[in-house]
Amino acid sequence: MNRPTLRRAVLASATLLALAPALSLAKCEKLSQPKAGEINIVGNSFPALQHIAKEMESCSQGGLKVQFKMTPRAREETEQAFASAGRSPFDAAVVSMGVFANLDSRGQIQPMTDLVDKYRAKYKLEDSMLVRVNGQVMAVAFMQNAQNLFYRKDLFDKHGLKVPTTYAEMLATAKTLKEKEPGIEFPIAQTFAKGWDSATEFANLFAGFGGRFFKPGSAQPDFNSDAGVKAFETMKAMTAYMTPNFLASNSDDVMNQFQQGKAAMGVLWASRASRMDDPAASKIVGKMAFAAAPAAVAGGPSATHLWWDGVVMPKNLGADRDTVFQVLMEALDEETVARGNDLTIWVRSSYKPTRFGTGVAASAKAGAPIWPSQPFFSLAHGEIGKVIPDVLTGAMSPKAALDAAAAAYVKAATDKGFIK
Amino acid sequence: MKIASFARFVAPSAALMLLLMALPLAMTFYLSVRNCALQMEMVTVSESTPFGTREVTTQRAVLGPDGRALTTCRFVGLDYFRTVLGLGSGASAASAAAPPEASGAGAVPDNAAQARQQRSTEFIGALRFTLLYTFATTPFVLLIGFVLALAVHHVSRRWQGPYISATLLPFIITPVVGALAIKWLFRDNGFVPYLLSQFGISMFWMAQAWSAQLLIILYGIWHVVPFAFIVLYAGLQSVPQDSLEAARIDGASAWQRLIYVTIPHLAPLFVFVTLIHLMDAYRVFEPVVVLTQGAFTTSVQVLTYYTLLDEQNPYKASAAAVLTTAGIAVLLLPLLIKTWKEHRRG
Repeated sequence: MNRPTLRRAVLASATLLALAPALSLAKCEKLSQPKAGEINIVGNSFPALQHIAKEMESCSQGGLKVQFKMTPRAREETEQAFASAGRSPFDAAVVSMGVFANLDSRGQIQPMTDLVDKYRAKYKLEDSMLVRVNGQVMAVAFMQNAQNLFYRKDLFDKHGLKVPTTYAEMLATAKTLKEKEPGIEFPIAQTFAKGWDSATEFANLFAGFGGRFFKPGSAQPDFNSDAGVKAFETMKAMTAYMTPNFLASNSDDVMNQFQQGKAAMGVLWASRASRMDDPAASKIVGKMAFAAAPAAVAGGPSATHLWWDGVVMPKNLGADRDTVFQVLMEALDEETVARGNDLTIWVRSSYKPTRFGTGVAASAKAGAPIWPSQPFFSLAHGEIGKVIPDVLTGAMSPKAALDAAAAAYVKAATDKGFIK
Repeated sequence: MKIASFARFVAPSAALMLLLMALPLAMTFYLSVRNCALQMEMVTVSESTPFGTREVTTQRAVLGPDGRALTTCRFVGLDYFRTVLGLGSGASAASAAAPPEASGAGAVPDNAAQARQQRSTEFIGALRFTLLYTFATTPFVLLIGFVLALAVHHVSRRWQGPYISATLLPFIITPVVGALAIKWLFRDNGFVPYLLSQFGISMFWMAQAWSAQLLIILYGIWHVVPFAFIVLYAGLQSVPQDSLEAARIDGASAWQRLIYVTIPHLAPLFVFVTLIHLMDAYRVFEPVVVLTQGAFTTSVQVLTYYTLLDEQNPYKASAAAVLTTAGIAVLLLPLLIKTWKEHRRG
């Protein structure tokens, strides 16, 4: 390294060092009497969570060390840790409600009612954040998510189209757009990929048609019903207006189809909404608007589900309970929400809604149900996801596919002890 | 060498192999003939969330006196093997022991028959694609790898470094990232469909079986060729120069030198690359999950993964894992026998 370069390098690092405190905006100053030791937290990786994770890690002080592990296998790692016979390797986890349902049904989550009472005022905990089961606080929720309608307002205005409120209207609108708008060959884009994605689309429509997944008071399947057949028929009708690659279209691909201006509407995760205005990736900045997910039947509820994400602590907790709870709450306080306001749809009342969250609010208002919380639901969901390609390609009739999925589900649920 | 000293030399590696290979396999087999389930009971709970309060009828684990969930384990024999293969009685051990459900009991057997049908085609479909992938990629991996190795071997010394680095790139890239890159090339608005559209060809690569399967096979070739290349290139450095000289003096053409001197010399390496690739290819996973998510292209390994992920059943997944190992053993058998015979002759 020659001399001027060296000097520049030294200067640059000095500047960085000077800026460092200012750059790390995360603060954690309200901890009272933290116990020294190591706290490990696990969670998935997405922008809002990265924001929170930084906040949690900033609580490392004195003898206290907080580490957040971000992994795409968060669900598996969390379930293993919470189920382990000894001390859990993770002292807390950030989970979606689907994972929460599984953990809670196995009695692996630590109630935090006493801690909530103790720190309610200090961290301004709001009732809407507290996830209670039979009165006990089992999780603290911080964000919500739902699939809602994305539509190209510019194109809708141009052709004088109304925002569809039912799937039938959506199909009619798609027909018009396909005929009148050059460049929109496939007006609808939704996540019809084999497995989890398309099974979730099915679940949304199925609930919209008034379907019941299980027989009342049991884990016996009831989704091989009329509502199930109707849900499949609707999905099949939609494929006529979707890219032929629909069986490989996950959230990333659908987002891309919107950003490239190739699709004009579809039901997609609200967490993807702000990416529509990302000038680096989107050709349609400012042109996408958001509304409630259409209903399956006229006058029915919005055919989607509401989700929440929150923090939980395992029953087999090793670290100091009080300190862990405080670290979690530091990262969910008003200050964190204010600094990351646009990252997601926060539960806190101090959140200032952006236009990207309007679809979720509208869906909730239009009666969208909450994602099912029975621990055996994920088994049914998994089996349905496997048969969907056969239905959409016409290899199997909807009813036969549903019967096959129901039978496979019975077997899986029996092996897991849900059906005796 | 005396038996005692031979044993002492071999003992450490034998112990390691036992510990790291035989033991996990035995454990997996042990898991695959069992099933453990939590004792669940039906309850109605009041559940409050950010979206309000509701009554939910659900199931919860029965907790023991120590506050931990009670588990019942049982021996299920080879039931899971039959289930994975789509054979046999259909009802698993657990459900066979259970009385039929009171309401709608008549509907279940028909469904079960259908599900059996579905399952068996699922496994056979996965096996068919896995074998197709394995046997379609192997010859191309060997051929292209060898051609590249020859090319680099003959290129001037100066260019060999950059050339080797460039050729190795696909092998170094993480499989998930590589598969994503390929997906982005071929999905809607991707580079390849765009290029084809310039010639008036409209092509959707993930919309039908043949092209979806072709994509994954292409990915497989692209990803593994560098491995064959580097092994064969190393082998080329050791081709005896005197044999080549002698062949040249005897008037052998370049082609004849290649066929009669170079390739026979490299034969063990071809076998080695084939062995490794067969093992890897039978476990094809990432490109399936990333490129097509399994539509038209489920592989054996992906089935195992979904058993774990969707059914959350490690016991059944263990049976699938044992079967995968058995499948690889069957695939490798002819090559292993050949190598063994050569070794004996050797």
